[in-house]
Amino acid sequence: MEPMDEVKTYYIKELLARGKREDNRGMFDFRQIRIKRGVIQHAEGSAQVELGGTVVLAGVKLQIEEPMEDTPKQGNLMVAAELLPLAHADFESGPPSPESIELSRVVDRGIRAAECIDLESLFIEEGKAWTAFIDLYILNHDGNLLDASSIAAMAAIMDTKMPRYDAEKKVADYTVKTEPLKVKNIVVSTTFGKVGSTIVLDTNMHEENSMDTRLTIETDGKAVRAIQKGLHGSFSVKEIESLVDVAFNKYNEVKSILEH
Amino acid sequence: MASKADRPELIIKGKRLDGRAFNELRPIKIEAGVLKNAAGSARLEWGDNRVLAAVFGPIECQPKHTSDPAKAVIKCKYSMAPFSSIGEHGRTGPNRRAIEISKVTKEAFENVVFLNEYPGSEIDIFIEVLQSDGGTRCAGITAAAVAMANAGIHMKDVMYAVSAGKVGNEMLLDFNMIEDNYSDSDMPMAISPKDNSVLLLQMDGNNSKEELKKGMEMVLEAGKKISKIQRDALLEVYRKAEANAEKGV
Amino acid sequence: MKTIVMPGDVIEQTAERIENTYSENGKLYSKIIGLYDSEKGSLVSLEGIWSPRVGDNVVGIIKSARNAVYEVDLSFFLRSILVGSKYDRHIHKPGDVIEATIKDVEDRKTVVLTAERVLHGGTVLNVKPTKVPRIIGKANTMVKQISDMTRCNIIVGKNGIVWIKGGNVALATAAIRQIEDEAHTSGLTERIKKMLEDGGGSMPEPVQEADKYGNAETPDNDMRRNGPHGSYNKDRNAEVKGYTAASDNTDIEIEK
Repeated sequence: MEPMDEVKTYYIKELLARGKREDNRGMFDFRQIRIKRGVIQHAEGSAQVELGGTVVLAGVKLQIEEPMEDTPKQGNLMVAAELLPLAHADFESGPPSPESIELSRVVDRGIRAAECIDLESLFIEEGKAWTAFIDLYILNHDGNLLDASSIAAMAAIMDTKMPRYDAEKKVADYTVKTEPLKVKNIVVSTTFGKVGSTIVLDTNMHEENSMDTRLTIETDGKAVRAIQKGLHGSFSVKEIESLVDVAFNKYNEVKSILEH
Repeated sequence: MASKADRPELIIKGKRLDGRAFNELRPIKIEAGVLKNAAGSARLEWGDNRVLAAVFGPIECQPKHTSDPAKAVIKCKYSMAPFSSIGEHGRTGPNRRAIEISKVTKEAFENVVFLNEYPGSEIDIFIEVLQSDGGTRCAGITAAAVAMANAGIHMKDVMYAVSAGKVGNEMLLDFNMIEDNYSDSDMPMAISPKDNSVLLLQMDGNNSKEELKKGMEMVLEAGKKISKIQRDALLEVYRKAEANAEKGV
Repeated sequence: MKTIVMPGDVIEQTAERIENTYSENGKLYSKIIGLYDSEKGSLVSLEGIWSPRVGDNVVGIIKSARNAVYEVDLSFFLRSILVGSKYDRHIHKPGDVIEATIKDVEDRKTVVLTAERVLHGGTVLNVKPTKVPRIIGKANTMVKQISDMTRCNIIVGKNGIVWIKGGNVALATAAIRQIEDEAHTSGLTERIKKMLEDGGGSMPEPVQEADKYGNAETPDNDMRRNGPHGSYNKDRNAEVKGYTAASDNTDIEIEK
C-alpha cells in the first residue's frame, strides 16, 4: 500500500474503533442505491447501478448454445466481470485478475443457487438452448464491488427480454425482442467488512483498504443462498450468525429497489 | 465488410434508411466529468453508439523503461464491451482491430498535447464502447478529446472525429452500422478545428479523388456541429454547478 | 469581462504572452479550459494538475528515507525530495504527513522541499489543485470558516493534498468537495456557511488540542499561514487554528 493510503487507512481504523464511519453512516447502512435500466438497447437486458460512488454496468446477452451434457433440457448462465482500467488507477488492462474472477463467480453463485433464472425456460429444442451471458462492467470503483455487481446483475436480468427464435433457420433473430426472461427468484447480496473488531456493511474505498476480512451473504429473504469469506482476517461463528440476521433484514430494502 | 451482392437498398428516394440526408450527422450528446476516479471523463451518445472515455494523469510513468525523461508518454486503450453489439455475445480482450485503433488514437493526441510540459509522466486514455452502431473509433476520439480537456491537460485544441464514405455513387457522412457493413468505402478522420489540420485519417474501399474531396468537405462541415457539442458539454460542467449553487442559496 | 475558454480558442491579442496560452501564426491560443479575464489579461485554469513553484506550501507523505534524504509523495508525477540535516538522521518515517515549502525545482525533474513540519495524526484528502485557492479563500476566509464550524485543524497544500484532524471531518470533507464543484461561482462563502450550519456545524469555544507529544497548538498561531489568494506566508507555525471539544465523541485524536 502507498504511504498516502496508509495515512487514510489509519484514520479509518481509529474512526471505526470509536463506532464512527467516514461519511457518518450507520454501521449496517447501505450507501444510496440508484438503478438505471435498459441503458444498452443492443443488449437483451441491462442496468447501471450506483452504490454510492461505485458504478457497475451489467449487460445480458442471450445466445444459442448446446446444452450442458448433464442438463440437456436446460439453458445456462455465465457471469464475467471486467475491472475496467477507467474505473480506478490501480486497475490494469490484461487477462482477468483473481479479483475479477472471484467477483464474477460469487455473483454467479448467488444467482445460480437462488435459481433466479428459470433455466428450463431457456431450453429451445434438442441440442439447442439459450445461454445468458451476464457481463459486469465496473465503471467506477469506490468499494464493495460485490454488492453493486450483484444488484446490477439482478436488475439487468429483470430487465431482459428474450430474442426471437427463428425456428425455420434455427438461429436467433436479435431484431425482435419477445417476452421477458423468466425470473423465478430475487437474490440480494450483503457484504460486510471487518476492520479490527468492528464490522460494517457496504465498505467504501477507504474502508476497504483498511479491512482485514470481508463476508458476503446472499439471501432470497427465506434462505441463505451463497456465502463467501474473503481476505486474511477471520470471523467468529457468533459474528457470522448475527450477520446472517442483518442480511435477512436488508433483503426487503434492496428487493424493493430492484422491483421499483 | 459484407458482400455487396446481398446489399439492401441503403438509399431510398434520396434519403438514408434512418431518414437522414447524405450530409447529416446522427444526434450527438456528450456529458463531461462523469467518472469520479478519473482526472477527466466524458460519456457520449452518437446515434446508437454509447461510449465512455476517461483520462488519468499525468502520473509517474510505469514501468520506468516506457518513460521518456523529456516528455509525457500517451497510452491509449480502446475496447468494446461484449454486450455492445446486436447479435451474439462478443469476445472480451483486445483484438487486432482494437490495438490498431488504440494506436492511431494515441498518435492523434500526441499531436495536440504539450507533451514536453510533463516530462517523465504518462497520460492514459481509456475508451470503452458500451454499445456500438458504426463509427465507434470516431465517437471514441470525440469523447476522449472532451475527457482530455476536462482533465485540464495542456493541449493545442479539442479535436473531433467523424467519417465519410461511399454507398453506390453517393458520398455519405457518418455511417451507421448497416451502412458501414455494406459501404463501398469508409474514411474516418480526426480534425483539429482551429486550423482544420488532419490528425487521423484512414480509408478503405474505392474512392475517386473527387469523392475523397467531397468526403473531406462533408467532414469539415459536420465538424463545426460536433465541436459545438463538445464545447457545450465542457461548459455544462460549470453551468450545472452554477445552477446547483443558485438553488443552494 | 470573464469568459470560459477552451483549448484552441483564440485569446484577444495582448502585448505580451500570458500564462496557459501558446502562440502560433501570430495568434494567441488557450491551452486549457479556463477563465479568461480580458481586463486583467489573465487566464486561470479550471482543471488540471498543479505546477510546482519555488515557495509553494505543500502537504506530502514521506515515502522512503535513505541517508537523511526523504522521498515525499505529493500526488504529483515528478519525484520530490526533502534533504534532512546530517545531524538528525531519520527523524521522519515513511507514512509521516508533512507540510513543507518548495525550495527548488531541479532540472524539471525533481521537486526539492525544505522547512518541513510533521503533521501528527489526522487524515489526508486529495483535491483538485486548481481549486486550492478557492478552498483557502481570500485571506484564509474560507478555510477558517470550515475550520471554525467543524472544529477541524485543516492545512491545504498547493499540490492538492489537504490534511484534516479532529472535529467533524465528514462535514469538513463535504464542504471542501462542494467548493471543488462550485469553485467558479460567486457567493460561495455564504453558501458554504449555510451548508456547514445545516450539517450541524457550529462555533464552539476554542479548546486547545495536544498532539501525541503533548504539544498544544498555541492559539496565536492561527491565520498566519496564507496571505491573500493563498500565497505562502513565511511563518512556519502557520496552521489554521482548529478547535476541538474535549468531551465530544466526534473528536478523533489519532495516535500512531
